[in-house]
Amino acid sequence: MPLIRRPSLPSESSAADTTASLTHGTSDERWAAARAAAVQPGGVALLAAALAQERDPRVLEAIFTGLARAGTAQSAAAVLPLIRSHDASLRAGALDALRAMPEASSPHVPRLLADPDADVRLLSCELVRGLPEGEANRLLCDLLDREAEKNVAAAAVEVLAEIGRSEALPALARCAERFAGDAFLAFSIKVATDRIDGP
Amino acid sequence: MTELPPVSEEEFRKVCDFLYRRTGMLFTEVKRYYVQRRIAERMVSLGISSFTTYFAYLRSDADGEIEKFINAFTVNETYFYREEHQLRCLSSDLLNERVRAKRPGEALRIWSVPCSTGEEPYSIALWLLENWPEVDVQDIEIVGSDIDTECVMAAQRGEYDQRALMRLTPALIGKYFATSGADRWRIIEDLRQSVQFTTANLMNPAETRRHGIFDVIFCRNVLIYFDDASRRLAAENLFECLAPGGFICLGHTESMSRISPLFEVRRFTDAIVYQRPQGGAHG
Repeated sequence: MPLIRRPSLPSESSAADTTASLTHGTSDERWAAARAAAVQPGGVALLAAALAQERDPRVLEAIFTGLARAGTAQSAAAVLPLIRSHDASLRAGALDALRAMPEASSPHVPRLLADPDADVRLLSCELVRGLPEGEANRLLCDLLDREAEKNVAAAAVEVLAEIGRSEALPALARCAERFAGDAFLAFSIKVATDRIDGP
Repeated sequence: MTELPPVSEEEFRKVCDFLYRRTGMLFTEVKRYYVQRRIAERMVSLGISSFTTYFAYLRSDADGEIEKFINAFTVNETYFYREEHQLRCLSSDLLNERVRAKRPGEALRIWSVPCSTGEEPYSIALWLLENWPEVDVQDIEIVGSDIDTECVMAAQRGEYDQRALMRLTPALIGKYFATSGADRWRIIEDLRQSVQFTTANLMNPAETRRHGIFDVIFCRNVLIYFDDASRRLAAENLFECLAPGGFICLGHTESMSRISPLFEVRRFTDAIVYQRPQGGAHG
C-alpha cells in the first residue's frame, strides 16, 4: 500500500527572547513571542504593551488570544480602549477578545452600554451575552429605555431575541412605541417578542 | 447504578476549573450530572468515598490519575466514513491543490486530531486508497492524535464492532478488515501501519508543534466543547501546524469564522473548509 510511511516528528524549536522579539522581531517572531508571552509570568503586561504598537493582523490575533486566555482585569483594561478604534478589524478583534474573557470584561459592560459613543454602545451589546441572563436582561432593558440611536436599540433587540426573558417584554414594547416609524426595528422587536412570548 | 457523590458548589467549580485548565473543555452547571457521574466512576474505581480525598488524589496525579480523569471526560463516539462529503472534498479538491503547491517527492501530510479510536484517520487512508487516483504516485503521511491515551491505544489496535463499520460496504470491509471474534473486525496490518498515532492536547502548543506541518487537518467536533478563549488558542495551535495554503476541516456544525480570523473560507463542491492564507510564513 502506498500510504505506508512513518514520519519523523520535528523537534521543538528553541525559545525566543520574548520581550525583545515582541518589540523588534519579524512578524513571525512577534507571533511566536506573543504566544509564548501568554504563558509567562508578567506576560500580560508584555502583551498589553505590544498591543499598543502592533499592527500585523496575525500577531494582533495572537496578542488578543493571549490576553483573553489570561482573562485578568489587566487583560481587559488593555483591550478595552481598542473598541473605540477607527480600524474595523482592530475593533472587531478587541470585541472578540473581550467576549472570550467574560469574567474580566463583565464589570465594564454597564459603563460601556452608557458610553457617549453610539458605536461603543452598539458593540457592547454583544458583550452582554456573556453575563448571567437576569443581569443581561436588566442591562439591555435599561439601555432600550434610554437609547436614542436606533441602530444601538436594534443591536440590543437582537441579543434579547436570543437571551430575552419575559421581564424584557415591557421594555421591548416601549422601544417599539418610541421607534414606531422604523420598519426594521418594529420587525426585530416583533421577532424578539414572539420568541420570548412564544411556547 | 453508581450513587453520585455529594459535590458542593465550590467543589464542582474546582473540578471544572481543573479540567478546563488541563484540556480547555468547559463544563458549566448544566453539565453537573455528567461531571458528577464521571467523578463517581473514578471514585468507585479507586475505592475512594469522599470527593475531597479524590480531588487531592487527582491533583497529586497519584498513579497517573489526571490522565485517567481526562480520559473519562472525552467523547469517543464515531464511525468510519463519518461526514463522507469532506472525504470527497479531500480527494476531489484539497489534495490536488496541495500537490500542486509542493515540491516533487515531498510527502503530503494529513492530521486527524482528535482521532478518537482511529475511525477517522483509517477512513482517510481507506478513502484515498479507493478514491484518489494520485494515491499510487504520492507519498502520504497520516497521523492520528488524541488527548485520550486509551483511545490512542485502541486506535493502534484498530479493532471495531459492527456499529463503527455501518457506513462501509461489505466489499470494503472484506478488503480492509479481518474478522476478530464475534462481531469484531480488525483493520489489516498494512493499513494499520499506514497511520501513525500519537497523544496530543490541542491546548498545548508544545504538543501540537512537535507533530510538524500538515497539508490538511481534520479537527472535527471537538472545538464545540471549548469556550471562546480555548477555541482561539486551539485555532492558533492548528494554524501553526498548517502549511501556508493548507486546509482545516471542521465538523459540519462548527465554523472557524466564528473562532478566529486567521483562516480563509474556501467553498468546494462537497464541503466548506478553512485555509491558512498563502502569504506569511509559519508562526
